[in-house]
Amino acid sequence: MSALDIRNVTKAYGPTTVLDDISLTAESNEFIAFLGPSGCGKTTLLRMIAGLETVDSGQIHIGGQRIDELAPGERGVAIVFQHYALYPHMTIRENMAFGLKNIKTSKTEIDARIGEAARILEIEAFLDKKPGQLSGGQKQRVAIGRAIVKKPDIFLFDEPLSNLDAALRMRTRLELAQLRRRLKATMILVTHDQVEAMTLADRIVVIHGRKIQQVGTPMEIYGRPANRFVASFVGSPPMNFLPVTISGAKAVATLSDGTALTTDIANLPESASWELGLRPEHVRVSDTGVSAKVEFVERLGERTLIYARLSDGTAITAEDVGLSRLTMGDEVHLSIDAQAAHLFDADGRGYHAETA
Amino acid sequence: MSHSRNQKWREIGVLISLIGLGLIMVSPLIWTVMLSLKSNGELLRSTTNAFHPPYTGENYAAIMANSGVFRWLLNSALVSSLQTVGVLILSSLAGYGFARLEFPYRNQLFLIVLFGLAIPEQAVIITRHQMFADLHLHNTYPGLILPGLAAPFGVFLMTQYFRAIPKELDEAAMLDNASRFKIFWKVLLPLTLPAQATLGIFTFLASWNDYWWPLISATRADMFTLTVGIASSQINFAQTSGLGYLMTQAVFASLPILIVYIIFQKYIVRAVAGAAVR
Repeated sequence: MSALDIRNVTKAYGPTTVLDDISLTAESNEFIAFLGPSGCGKTTLLRMIAGLETVDSGQIHIGGQRIDELAPGERGVAIVFQHYALYPHMTIRENMAFGLKNIKTSKTEIDARIGEAARILEIEAFLDKKPGQLSGGQKQRVAIGRAIVKKPDIFLFDEPLSNLDAALRMRTRLELAQLRRRLKATMILVTHDQVEAMTLADRIVVIHGRKIQQVGTPMEIYGRPANRFVASFVGSPPMNFLPVTISGAKAVATLSDGTALTTDIANLPESASWELGLRPEHVRVSDTGVSAKVEFVERLGERTLIYARLSDGTAITAEDVGLSRLTMGDEVHLSIDAQAAHLFDADGRGYHAETA
Repeated sequence: MSHSRNQKWREIGVLISLIGLGLIMVSPLIWTVMLSLKSNGELLRSTTNAFHPPYTGENYAAIMANSGVFRWLLNSALVSSLQTVGVLILSSLAGYGFARLEFPYRNQLFLIVLFGLAIPEQAVIITRHQMFADLHLHNTYPGLILPGLAAPFGVFLMTQYFRAIPKELDEAAMLDNASRFKIFWKVLLPLTLPAQATLGIFTFLASWNDYWWPLISATRADMFTLTVGIASSQINFAQTSGLGYLMTQAVFASLPILIVYIIFQKYIVRAVAGAAVR
């Protein structure tokens, strides 16, 4: 039995359909990330699970029970809001106890649960303070603590790290991963940050244009993107797309300058046009290869990103060593690892080498 | 160095000007208090000796001797308090409703409330008088209290205040199994306390100082509020022959208000400065 089962769910605001026929299952103790650009409907889907948005059609089941018609409090879910949503006039202890008091939990049980959550999250020292006295990171922990004490079947996180500064975000991400191991609960994270999704989730659900684009493990999403959108959205800097012509059983992709690249991709269908997808790490500056002109150099320390243009005008991003001496305007040669390439047909569908 | 010295002199200059302005504003009040401590006979001769002894408590004794005055004080306290409590309850409920509930014609109803802000009391006083007469509400406490409960400003203020509270708090409370009333009572209402304080003070002050409606509605001396009662006890030619007594009445009537001001000073300043929102 799945922990979460979303069946053909649709949501519209007036004439605008936000989510169209979404189906998805999550197993018990699984960590799922909803990933997509702003406005793609990922938060709406999370809110529908929580009961904060109605479901137009379709059903949502948790632990085998249909919950989409239940009140939010009766669904066995807890949500950690983007802006924490702590009750400002209550102490941290009262914030965490509020939900438990409402379901008539005994005082000893409430104290025990708060004590346990506070210990896990290291917030014991703040229990008698008010939210206004805490920093953003501390508020975030309290918001998570308020969810933990409820012992929900599913934890829902709505962009929980987006309000934190870069350093704190990284630390909290790590803590969230540790917390997840300790709690052994089903968790759903909504994020537009692919690094969060890649590092935390067992499976990523990429949502765009009202639809689920792909569901898979982080490496499946990165290594075998189902379509051009997933390929371009996941990965930083994004994948290169070069127009090519295709021939041969094992596809040979020919660039506009005549360079032929033998890929490991076989059994391609007919398509009006093809694009070769290359991650920047598979395009490296070398002594031989495709020639290009450097337009911009980004020095990241351990590696250098080269933004260049091929002779036909196509933009391409490549990698060079950390101590690269290239500067803007230089002519370079790029060696392409065609074995790691992807192909996308005219409809944007992705094709990959069997072993990729 | 010279920059900070200039700054210091500027601050001293501002302080002196503010103290001067403050004294100008408070001087009529001090004068009133001093005049109230003078005998009427002495004031009949001259009003310029207010700041010189001898002083007397005879005017205060005369007010206390008036049998009706404590009854009027009680009436005023009762009417103002109940009106304030009523306005706070009704405005909070209405404000919550307009800010958070979806119901048909919500915007149109809110517009009608806003129209209420623009209609002066004078425009409705005759019909209101007729209505209260028909309902036999004149010379009763409900007659004095009810008109003040229709408080469009209160509804407007509370609606705006509830709107400014993030909806995520309601949602968090919904997931915390709180009923709608519990969300209103335990989560949102405590957050509106600054607005409640502002509205409460203004309502209480307006009600305490109100003269016109009590003058129309209360015709029996035992139903007078303090403002109407004191005015009714004035002798003819009070300004000339009973100036000390008149000033004592003014002090007596404004004392409760002064106490309210002192207790809630922080909120009043915030309210007037328009910075009451959090």
